[in-house]
Amino acid sequence: MTRAALPRVVVSGLGVVSPYGAGVKSLWTGLSAGACAIRPVTVIETEGLRSRVAAEVPAEALDGLGVSRRRSRADRLALAAAAEALADAGLEGRDRRPAACLVGAVGGGMHEAEAWYWDEVRSGRPAPGRQRALRSVLPRAHADAVAFRFGLEGPRETLVMACASGAASIALGADLIRDGVVDVALAGGVDALTRICFMGFNALKLLAPEPCRPFDRDRRGMSIGEGAAFLVLEDAGRCRARGGRAHAELAGAAMTTDAHHVTAPHPEGEGMIRAMSLALGCARMASGEIGYVNAHGTGTPQNDRIEALALARVFGEGRILVSSTKSLVGHTMAAAGSVEALATILALEHGLVPPTANLTEIDPAVPFDCVPGTARPADLGAALSNSFGFGGQNVSLIFSRLSH
Amino acid sequence: MTEKEVLDDLKTIIVERLRFDPARAAEMTLDTTLPKGIDGSLGLDSLDFIELSVGIEERFGIVIDEREDLSDEFLSLQSLARFVLSKSAQG
Amino acid sequence: MAPPTPQRSEAPRLSWGAPRPVDSFGDRDVAGSSEPIPPRRRVVITGIGTVNALTSGGASAVAEAIALGRSGIGPLRGFVPEPGMSGLAAEIDDARLAALVDPAEARRLSRICRFTVAACRLAMRDSGVGSGPGLAIVVGSEHGDFRSSEEFAGGYLQRGPAGLSPMIFPNTVMNTMASVAAIAVGARAPSVTLNQPTIVGDLAVARAAAIVARGNAEAAVAGGVDEICALVYRHLRDLGALSPMRGGGPEGCRPYAADHNGPVLGEGATFLVLEGLDAARARGARIVAELVDQAWGNVPVSAHAARPGRPDRGSPVGRLLAAHAVSGFRCVYGAGNGDAGVDDWERGLLARDLGPCDAPPLSLAPLFGQHGGLGALRVAAAALDAARGVSPVLVHGIARGGCRTALIVGSLDPGSRDHE
Repeated sequence: MTRAALPRVVVSGLGVVSPYGAGVKSLWTGLSAGACAIRPVTVIETEGLRSRVAAEVPAEALDGLGVSRRRSRADRLALAAAAEALADAGLEGRDRRPAACLVGAVGGGMHEAEAWYWDEVRSGRPAPGRQRALRSVLPRAHADAVAFRFGLEGPRETLVMACASGAASIALGADLIRDGVVDVALAGGVDALTRICFMGFNALKLLAPEPCRPFDRDRRGMSIGEGAAFLVLEDAGRCRARGGRAHAELAGAAMTTDAHHVTAPHPEGEGMIRAMSLALGCARMASGEIGYVNAHGTGTPQNDRIEALALARVFGEGRILVSSTKSLVGHTMAAAGSVEALATILALEHGLVPPTANLTEIDPAVPFDCVPGTARPADLGAALSNSFGFGGQNVSLIFSRLSH
Repeated sequence: MTEKEVLDDLKTIIVERLRFDPARAAEMTLDTTLPKGIDGSLGLDSLDFIELSVGIEERFGIVIDEREDLSDEFLSLQSLARFVLSKSAQG
Repeated sequence: MAPPTPQRSEAPRLSWGAPRPVDSFGDRDVAGSSEPIPPRRRVVITGIGTVNALTSGGASAVAEAIALGRSGIGPLRGFVPEPGMSGLAAEIDDARLAALVDPAEARRLSRICRFTVAACRLAMRDSGVGSGPGLAIVVGSEHGDFRSSEEFAGGYLQRGPAGLSPMIFPNTVMNTMASVAAIAVGARAPSVTLNQPTIVGDLAVARAAAIVARGNAEAAVAGGVDEICALVYRHLRDLGALSPMRGGGPEGCRPYAADHNGPVLGEGATFLVLEGLDAARARGARIVAELVDQAWGNVPVSAHAARPGRPDRGSPVGRLLAAHAVSGFRCVYGAGNGDAGVDDWERGLLARDLGPCDAPPLSLAPLFGQHGGLGALRVAAAALDAARGVSPVLVHGIARGGCRTALIVGSLDPGSRDHE
């Protein structure tokens, strides 16, 4: 395939279902207000666990998604978010056909499969609904559902990379466009709240008893969330040619691996530093061009300390604004990379950096303005979003604003 | 409880939760060191220690605060046994 | 069946915020930007490692097992299947597996992770490639570490919160195999885990080749892995997804045969080492074959359609043929595993791309059983063919649900070859 130049990649559509509710508008309203959506858990049992809070998608929002309840919780979130993104991009019918579909996923339909399994083990008899529960349990179920529902006929992939899944799908989707395989890709991430995930982080003593407090001196761990977010990535020339509009450019992306430990990050943030540096290189940007970093910022003592170290190495101390979306909507697991990419793009579009919630006294080891409590107006040219998955899988994405 | 009784329970946890070979566990003594990086130790890393803590909490009914630096207490089976005894005495 | 027409009323109309026309990139003006496309590297295969029902070892182990042609499928040993239903599988002997992983390491690895680490190490040793920030890892799996998920949940259900094992939890996320393998072989470039049915092994190799070709890594360990898990086996059997499906006929794996009646599961891990040609030559590597090119795509059918028949408008085989001057393939490997509807569909798709052919593609499913590593075994087999001068070879894959892969493997031509 002959092409004149390396395609630039723009984001022409956004879609999300978050713990604030359905839609990009409700996400931005919540983020810009600094409203913390981490509340007492209702959809799973948490008795005897360290934490009883999470950021759930509100029941009314879930009911109002217009997707059949026979589908798994996670599939419903995925379908609604994907629908919004495709509509936002103005891509319909035949325009959608060649699109690639990349979905970051971890839990898949486990929310329903667990319920069935719990039922069977507790009752001691075969429980009904096994086939339905297991049929859509695998992570790849969301990509299958979305691609089929919306007639997306391009390459279809499911990436499972722990907390970095939703960002990896964006990075790899952009690669498909740059490589000339497709002109448009729907890329995102999905995760519904599951017992296994909540209990697992509880067992690792990584859950905070109260809503998480990223970068705070007294932080005690993370809070789990759920959601789904999709971006429509598009070849800039093609988008322009069809009269499409775009929210931002995906200027650069990079993925690295710590290869250090299955749960703990490299103590000096080696993989994090490389991911951010390579992303800057890919974007042909100097670190000084980044005005805001949307941090991985889980609120665990370890991540925040090491991430701050890595940020200081790449950007120098001070200057950049840093905030954690997880303080507001929790750690949405496989959706996090995509939800936070959206938050980063919205910050660029609105010239407003969403705050870090629950931050009362910053950890002295964090040499940055972490935008405590209140959103901060900022004239941003470019911003970077980090997702550092469990087991050292690091993804950094750089978005730049389209026009001043 | 005596130090010896605690040692036996710790060995059970080490076999059941940390998946060490029972024959190997039978040879462990109070002098056996735990953390990775010490010659002749069991080579435990941070994840092993979390698993061990959960096992100790369950078996002995005590609470271990993960924010505390317990590297001295988790150095050997003896220091660990003493830690368990002192925590149990606190009730 | 055409996909349903999307309903516009489903999505909230975006009436605020300011998406902009794409005519300006702020300071980075698009008109002035004509960044040249970086040259794509040629990619070669320098190592193979496998742990499966028949054998474990490097390239020669794979070659011997295929040459011998013995099947690794037999009656299930790992658990007792219900009588009168599917009861065959190609299982790994646990004693052989124990010999492949050091006990101190094995203590911390679930069974599927042991296969993965062992096979990746065998591939690395076969290749001689070094570790570091230039080495990527791509792992494909159909079911992941389901056994660990069951074990983790079981701990809670039996003993409450205290029964939750922190050590088992990381295995409940499907990228656990890639994580432990990355640590074992020191892979610090991108690590990617893919979840697809049937063809995930060759998809992983294709994805890894693209990563190396575009320069995101200097080398990659790529392949697939699955293990047999009683819960998953029973579920698939109940769905009628395993031979003999719901029909009569003897249970068995007979891809493309007139009496094919479903797949038989296997387990194992197979990984290839891919490198840029120049780097491989510079270090004096033994090059097995060249991965000339790869493409993947999707045919839009329902994930559960038993007899998909839809033609492929954007055929990856067609794309590769258009990009390369290939007049014919000496050999074609297919993903057919006895699943009748997909076997037939694959033959139809290939006939459209390559012209009618009496002989079906070659399938390795009867030897190794269907599992995530099988696609990588196909690419390995093609590489071994090419090394003996049988070149070029097409490795084709198609799955229920429509995921389609195509890789061209060829003998390394010492002369120059122009690449697009």
